[in-house]
Amino acid sequence: MITYLEAIREAQARALAEDPRVYIYGQDVGQFGGAFKATKNLAQEFPGRVLDAPLSEDAIIGSAIGAAIEGFRPIVEMQFADFSTVGFNQIVNQAATLHWRTNVPCPITVRLPSGGTAGGGPFHSQSMEALYAHYPGLIVMTPATVEDAYSMLLEAVAIDDPVIFCEHKYLYYHLKAECLPSEAVPTGKARIARAGRDATIVTYSAMLHESLACAEDLAGEGWDIEVIDLRSIKPLDTDTVLASVARTGRLLAVGEAWPWGGVTAEVIARVATEGFDLLDAPPQRLNARDTPIPFHPNLWGTHRPTARTIGARMRDLLRL
Amino acid sequence: MPQLGESIAEATVVSIPFNVGDIVDSDQDVLDVETNKATMGVTAPCSGRIVELSVELQHSYPVGATLGFLEVTNEEAIRAGLDVPAPAEPTAERNGETRHAEAPAEKKTYGVQPTLRGLPVPAHASGASYMSPRMRARMNELGLHAADLAGVAGSGAAGRVTVEDFEKFLSQLENHKLSPASSMRVAVADAMRRSWTRPIATVGMPVRIDAMLAHRKTSDPKPGPALYALRALAVALGENSAPAGRLVGEKIVHPLAIDVGFAVEAEDGVLVPVLRHADRTPLAQMANRYNELVELARQRRLPANAQGGSIATVTNFGTFGLEWATPIPLPEQTMVLGMGAGRIVPNWDKEKGQFLPVTEAHFTLSFDHRVLDGGGAGRLLQRIASLLQDPGSL
Repeated sequence: MITYLEAIREAQARALAEDPRVYIYGQDVGQFGGAFKATKNLAQEFPGRVLDAPLSEDAIIGSAIGAAIEGFRPIVEMQFADFSTVGFNQIVNQAATLHWRTNVPCPITVRLPSGGTAGGGPFHSQSMEALYAHYPGLIVMTPATVEDAYSMLLEAVAIDDPVIFCEHKYLYYHLKAECLPSEAVPTGKARIARAGRDATIVTYSAMLHESLACAEDLAGEGWDIEVIDLRSIKPLDTDTVLASVARTGRLLAVGEAWPWGGVTAEVIARVATEGFDLLDAPPQRLNARDTPIPFHPNLWGTHRPTARTIGARMRDLLRL
Repeated sequence: MPQLGESIAEATVVSIPFNVGDIVDSDQDVLDVETNKATMGVTAPCSGRIVELSVELQHSYPVGATLGFLEVTNEEAIRAGLDVPAPAEPTAERNGETRHAEAPAEKKTYGVQPTLRGLPVPAHASGASYMSPRMRARMNELGLHAADLAGVAGSGAAGRVTVEDFEKFLSQLENHKLSPASSMRVAVADAMRRSWTRPIATVGMPVRIDAMLAHRKTSDPKPGPALYALRALAVALGENSAPAGRLVGEKIVHPLAIDVGFAVEAEDGVLVPVLRHADRTPLAQMANRYNELVELARQRRLPANAQGGSIATVTNFGTFGLEWATPIPLPEQTMVLGMGAGRIVPNWDKEKGQFLPVTEAHFTLSFDHRVLDGGGAGRLLQRIASLLQDPGSL
């Protein structure tokens, strides 16, 4: 069995082994093996290529961009996605625009340990994908499975664009697979995680699993819910979403991030503008509540969508 | 502003019989307001002194709006179901409002806040008539109309027909024998469906037609009975064309000319040839043209100038042996005049003191109730009936 976290470590090991231009840079990624042990033993296996960085996300990303310009393919680990705002300027003003300004590609991968875990609180639980997806020039990956965590991270390193790799901390240990995948669906293509005909849930990352659990519950009530895993939110696979809504006529977009101007809003906007005539009911969405993320596990449990709250929203949608 | 009735969302203040400072009793009318249904009084929720009137004459206020303030005793306030705070609040004098200053322990000003719950939802906002974009698109694709769904039981919110219901309905149709409707049938269906979006009412009365039948016998060419009715309607509308006006928004659109159509049954449908300026053309001059148009309509070869643009239609459903009917006006018209089959009935003759046989037919007028009321329709029918008693003058 291999966990989501181990898949991320294995992908980095393979990238280091296969491409001499790859190196890993981040706080405590070297000797310590990373805050979550995503780079465990990599410093020993690849001497001189897994480097501890100072406590400055600004400097970490800035230097990675410089290295990318010089032909390297750096993988940067932010200890928590929440801290990436300290390096925000380097990501959105430098990395995202470099190729467009200079015709020099910027093949950096920024790993963001994202999303909430019980007791994480406001500074260690954020989902930042919508923020980065807002900027042209960035690719934003949000893998929801062990297989995707592995294959998408390898793809992130391989492509020439800067990639924001949102790996979900809750999935690190909770998600396990039999083995690593031998082939992969390309980034930019969503996956139908569960086929159904009554309604479509469009989601990504950890919310895929809450949505699948909800679909299972509703199957017991006779509803057949289709669940789509976006896999990457930029590019966003509108075609797969529209094709699904064409089958079901009903859409619920679910995300762990805040609602305001986020991925669920974008999904609904696209369906409303490109597929209005497919809708048999007003499209719905469910997000975390529009407040900072609470510390207390009980509060946190009611802050983000769960299978139960997704189910409640879905029942409302099915009744419309 | 209280809820003054179902589907009343606002009311206009038409009279303010009291002044600030006046004492009013509980349930006494303190304001007269006019809704789109009636003029009625707004009553005081409890006895007290009017300290503020927040309304202006001829202004409209929604249900739930504050109309004014009453100064009342604690007992009255409790009786009206308001919470009464602990007495002797020195803050009563805030904002420098002296009216609260006198005996603050006993008197207090409260705004009565009627509940906003129970505001009526317009009937078309939800329910069976709500159609999702997908339903609309699917029906457009198949060339169907809302009326085609009348027999589908909806399973959605408030009984709306969902796409699943619709597809199930369509698949069940395949079990039946299906034959194409003729283009004539489709055209009639379209006209009737569009017309039925309006509130159509019908009034009717028996009319003696002995004089008309006698006149017809002596005429050459013989005018059809419907032509008498058509001419009488045209003369009546020539005197006052307002009942045939169309309501568009907040305007009555008056007819340019009294061009009146008449219904002719053709294969699988109805055609309506038109006689132009029927108010200015005597009956005798229209008889030939009328007979000619009947023939052309039956052959479905009506010339363009004899179609469309009419302001009312006459239909003689009596030719089918029917005595009464409630025909539907054409969508671009406000009314249709119908005539039933003539029959001989006993009529009390005062002079002779006995029943004598007379020939009578029921005339009906179906009309857009937005434009015309029962009274107006009745007067128009009466005028037509009276004109028909002297057919020689038509």
